[in-house]
Amino acid sequence: MAERTPPRRIVIIGGGAAGIGAAGAARGTSRDAEITVYTEYEDAAYSPCGIPYVHGGEIPDFERLFLGTKQQYADQGIDIRYQTAVQAIDARGRNVRVGNGPPVPYDALVVATGWDYGRPDVPGADLAGIYYMKNIREAMRWDEVLDGVRSAVVLEAQPLGMEMVTALCHRGIETHLVDPSPWALSMATDPDIVAPVQESWLEMGARLHFNTTLRAILGDGSGRVRGVATTDGEIACDLVVVCSHKVPRTDLGAAAGLAVGSAGGFVVDETMATSVPGIWAAGDCAEIPHGVSNVPIQGLSGSHAYAQGKVAGVNAAGGRRAYQPVYVPWAMVAGKWMIGGVSFSETLATALGISFITGQAQGISRARYFPDVKPVKVKLLAEPDGLRLIGAQMVGGEGIKERADFLAMAVRKGITLRDLATMENVYSPPIGALNEPIAMAAQDALARLGS
Amino acid sequence: MAPPRTSLARRLREVSEHQLMIAAQRDVAGRYGTPPPLPPRGVDRFWQQVFVPVYHRLPWKLRVTVMRAMPGSHRRTWHQPDQGSGPAV
Repeated sequence: MAERTPPRRIVIIGGGAAGIGAAGAARGTSRDAEITVYTEYEDAAYSPCGIPYVHGGEIPDFERLFLGTKQQYADQGIDIRYQTAVQAIDARGRNVRVGNGPPVPYDALVVATGWDYGRPDVPGADLAGIYYMKNIREAMRWDEVLDGVRSAVVLEAQPLGMEMVTALCHRGIETHLVDPSPWALSMATDPDIVAPVQESWLEMGARLHFNTTLRAILGDGSGRVRGVATTDGEIACDLVVVCSHKVPRTDLGAAAGLAVGSAGGFVVDETMATSVPGIWAAGDCAEIPHGVSNVPIQGLSGSHAYAQGKVAGVNAAGGRRAYQPVYVPWAMVAGKWMIGGVSFSETLATALGISFITGQAQGISRARYFPDVKPVKVKLLAEPDGLRLIGAQMVGGEGIKERADFLAMAVRKGITLRDLATMENVYSPPIGALNEPIAMAAQDALARLGS
Repeated sequence: MAPPRTSLARRLREVSEHQLMIAAQRDVAGRYGTPPPLPPRGVDRFWQQVFVPVYHRLPWKLRVTVMRAMPGSHRRTWHQPDQGSGPAV
């Protein structure tokens, strides 16, 4: 009689987008694998990206952010161990240590430990009243706190910070944005693109403190936040919301010997395999090459984390799937506008010393006569010789996300300004204008070249 | 567990990217007439007055060689997606 192969034991560390993506893909690849997910939190599989919109009142409750119930995962044979932290990985022995129990063996391990905020290295960073927006249970508690907050300081205009400024203004809280850069999201945007967003924040009552560095968080006699000290003076507040850059959580994996790259994330290949056999990594703890520059980057979006998790899960379960270098389309609602882009901004290209040409256009989202028509501004960047697209920036009233997705594929496929200048576009009065702003921006670039 | 030490390559990349971005923000702010970053102080003056100009004078191929020599995922196997050619049908 033939011996039965024992089921493959797959352990996943982390219950965020990458971890849950890995678990689902592993189950889809192997029906009999034993899949165990360890998460230090009370929940798994929810959308932390939705939290600012609950705070701002656009989403009525936190329950809607959950992607599935705990029972649904149990029914799929995915064993999620909540509030259970993995303390160590023994890569040679192929096991993980959890609590005081015996080592938990694995055949394949997926590390999806995510990220943390960069903690402010200033006096007062341990005071009560400092909100690191990430965990949904904490967000529920903070949402009640917000009811009593009169004035808040948001530290840094990273994507979450931009969403939180908008949310707190919606909530009627006096909101101060403190950022050491000269404009919002300066790592990804140019000042002309983000200007309408900043103007709209001012219209909504926010106070913007750019080129301003945090010196200290100030406490009252009871150890609670009463304000912040900055290079621009003191700002009184009841709450500080920290939205600094994402720092990959690599302690656990690095201690097990997983190589960490220059972006701070685990080094992986296209299968999401790390430098240690039998271990994959996915999400914000891993770094991925940029498709244009080939430089590895880290701190991408939830959709990137989920897709990487699926690749890691398939491969951990014995299948074969490859991920691709990234071109990073992004978009968000900030203030009264949608803003987005892909790959290189003028600022980033200038920083790296990459030659580029630009084209810009101010278009509209629908037929000019149709109600609620919105402006759409597009700026394209292309390399000057072959005119291949290398980046784009947009701000407008609607249709930014779809254009960012399209332009990311255009960069990935080597589309040129000549291609875009002659692109076909949908014309339908309620959803599309006669002239597509992307084509207009490409035509502008060619006109500047005299071609 | 002690946190992993930040590697020299990562630290060098962080600082150089930050300083190149500040210089670029100054350039781009000048193009659009918007407020530039604050003038450099202390050790930042070295980075802005020595490192940034030297970086931009280096040939692109040399810059790319240095970037690609950094440790990271880009040095492992990543295939570019297949580019189709000819008609689809």
